[in-house]
Amino acid sequence: MSATDKNTGVDLKRRKILTGATGVVGAAGATFLAVPFVSSWQPSEKAKAAGAPVDIDLQALQPGQMLTVSWRGKPVWVVRRTPEMLDKLASLDGQLRDPASQESIQPGYCQNATRAVNPEYLVVVGICTHLGCAPLYRPAIGSPDVGADWQGGFFCPCHGSRFDLAGRVFQSVPAPTNLEIPPHRFINDHLVRIGEDPQQEGVA
Amino acid sequence: MKKIIWILSFSASLLALPFAAQAAGGPGIELEPAHNNLRHADSLQRGAVLFSNYCMACHSAKYMRYNRIAKDIGWSDEQVVSQMAHGLNKVVDEVQTRMLPGVAMDVLGTEPPDLSLMARLKGTDYIYTFLRAYHQDENGNWDNTVLKGTSMPNVLEGIQRHASSEDYAQAARDIANFLEYVGEPAKMDRMDLGWKVIAFLLVLLLLTYVLKKEYWRDIKH
Amino acid sequence: MSYQDQPQTKRASLLSWLDRRYPIVSTWNEHVGEYYAPKNFNFWYFFGSLALLVLVNQFITGIWLTMSYKPSAAEAFNSIEYIMRDVEWGWLIRYMHSTGASAFFIVIYLHMMRGLLYGSYKEPRELVWILGMFLFLVLMAEAFMGYLLPWGQMSYWGAQVIISLFGAIPVIGPDLALWVRGDFVISDATLNRFFALHVIALPLVLIILVFMHIVALHKVGSNNPDGVEIKKYKNEAGLPIDGIPFHPYYSVKDSFGAVFFMIPFALIVFYWPEGGGFFLEPPNFEPANPLKTPEHIAPVWYFTPYYAILRAVPDKFLGVVAMGAAIAVLFAMPWLDRCKVKSIRYRGTSFKLLLTMFVVSFVVLGYLGTQPATPELTKLAQIFTVLYFAFFLVLPFTSVHEQTKPVPERVH
Repeated sequence: MSATDKNTGVDLKRRKILTGATGVVGAAGATFLAVPFVSSWQPSEKAKAAGAPVDIDLQALQPGQMLTVSWRGKPVWVVRRTPEMLDKLASLDGQLRDPASQESIQPGYCQNATRAVNPEYLVVVGICTHLGCAPLYRPAIGSPDVGADWQGGFFCPCHGSRFDLAGRVFQSVPAPTNLEIPPHRFINDHLVRIGEDPQQEGVA
Repeated sequence: MKKIIWILSFSASLLALPFAAQAAGGPGIELEPAHNNLRHADSLQRGAVLFSNYCMACHSAKYMRYNRIAKDIGWSDEQVVSQMAHGLNKVVDEVQTRMLPGVAMDVLGTEPPDLSLMARLKGTDYIYTFLRAYHQDENGNWDNTVLKGTSMPNVLEGIQRHASSEDYAQAARDIANFLEYVGEPAKMDRMDLGWKVIAFLLVLLLLTYVLKKEYWRDIKH
Repeated sequence: MSYQDQPQTKRASLLSWLDRRYPIVSTWNEHVGEYYAPKNFNFWYFFGSLALLVLVNQFITGIWLTMSYKPSAAEAFNSIEYIMRDVEWGWLIRYMHSTGASAFFIVIYLHMMRGLLYGSYKEPRELVWILGMFLFLVLMAEAFMGYLLPWGQMSYWGAQVIISLFGAIPVIGPDLALWVRGDFVISDATLNRFFALHVIALPLVLIILVFMHIVALHKVGSNNPDGVEIKKYKNEAGLPIDGIPFHPYYSVKDSFGAVFFMIPFALIVFYWPEGGGFFLEPPNFEPANPLKTPEHIAPVWYFTPYYAILRAVPDKFLGVVAMGAAIAVLFAMPWLDRCKVKSIRYRGTSFKLLLTMFVVSFVVLGYLGTQPATPELTKLAQIFTVLYFAFFLVLPFTSVHEQTKPVPERVH
């Protein structure tokens, strides 16, 4: 028993068009209705407030020293690199997996030789790109737990991944990419804000 | 067609029912209408500054954050912090009172309530009337006709004494307006969205009506 | 349309694969495609499908609310404001749920009214009515427990008053009230168990009852505004002459009804979510305070007729009994009404007068329940309580001797 073949006077085409039109508009409505439910899973204002940019005062940071802050629950390191440290970076390129940071995560303004806005300060997320351990800061040349030819950098004790002082990963270690650089900007010479891009309002 | 008219009038009467019940109730005190308008951003901005200057010494609006206020009433993040917090708070901070914990009990003998939802609890007319209902007896003691024996001092006394009566009324109106906004920050959003949803539903209603008519041509009565 | 008519397309072969493992075609045909409903449904017949629509709305918005709500006395109130302010679109989801609660009762009361008008509770549909009454009871429990969750002043004190009613039961009352609360007052423990019942236990019961309500209805077939059985006259194929398949005829008609309903619903959600203090009550914007009672406690509007009956009786225990009886007596409708004619169209003046009196009493009691109990209003509530019960007490006698009009053989 079908509605369409029962009655000969029925305009089947009109019926089809109307059913289609109602279906399309109804489906559009259902899609609109889904938007609030889907977007309600986005981080709430409270979560965003808790993950707001963090300001770090660098005045007390001596050359060669590192400090750690928490941003969105992750450790962020700031290393004040000495000119000698910076000079060595270019010579390591041959031993690195991704020397030009092509495959790694960093803001565009940090995809450069020193991976920094201001070469003196390296700002990097302190989480190994291998399996999420926290690498150790080993700035000294020939650190005993890393090796005699060690030029200074970061060493992950979990699986032996090594990174240079720009957070770039060495070849033949498990970590696939360089350490991640978070968005950050310098408010002035000694105040850096993590979580915000330069010359721009709002959270990155 | 007759049927539709009947259905419409039926739904209208259903909607009217609670209205009738509402009109029958009402508080005992005569409240002055606040005549505030959420669409007036300048009134909200003035209200926010007045709220900061005259209310936040004791009261909080803890369900609000400064950056939300800035976004909704047309300020930048820097402006809201300078206007409402004298640059002392971060934009993501909640709007807390400046009074230190425990002080209120010692000084006022009561805990000043959080004002986030005061407008939804009492209405803007109440806030407007309450703020202007302070009077002094012959001994110089203040009281409030809306809330007798309140511990709250006449915070707008300075404006009451030194400004014109229009400016005094406007100050109370601006505070009431700001508190209405604080009571439901999404209120303007929902009003802006509502008519679009209803317009869409009317289109869908027309389509389903025509579709129903089309199919029901099969049915012989 | 039934699937047998279709050519053997890919869809049809998938369907037959499915059908050999699950009775998908026969289920569809029995309840939708070949469920024959009388062709003369009027607008009162929208409210069944609308109730289902509101139920779905409550389920979806409710599930989403639980994602941000915190069922503890310390956090519940704050978490509601968190939903209203911090969660993206949280305000819309919450207003859809709170408006849905009131809409549910509007729709259900009209759905029940339809049953009274056209005698849908009568033989052979007694079980449909009784299952519907159980649905109504569970829905009231569901609404009552949901109302505690915002943990505002009205939530708290409303629950306090209603649970105290259990205390009126002789002997076991006080212990029972204590057991329901799990504490000496309404507390964190009460909130937590009400939350569990509101979001899991009672919705499960509702789904099962809705399923049974529809199965029972489809077993006996739908009534109609003429109150005649369409199964009496069938064509050569054995199908009722005055019946039409639910799909597409009533599916398109109910779609129209659903969209029609969504318009006032959206108007309230977007422009009037407090419903003049009836859908969201102002005192509930103040967190629950066990040391301070609001000046005037009234239950939500959909409970006020029963609340007025409770207050009208000057004895605490008898008041509870009267309130319970006011609901329980509805279960007996199929046997209290002894008239053979179903629809009000062909019934006598006595029934029309009695039903009008009942509806007026219900509405007036509903109004009185929202008001403070002054002596005059209490007197009024007592009069209308008597009239409310008079409907059920007089009906068995008048309905036997009712002067009915001739009922047509077939629907109009």
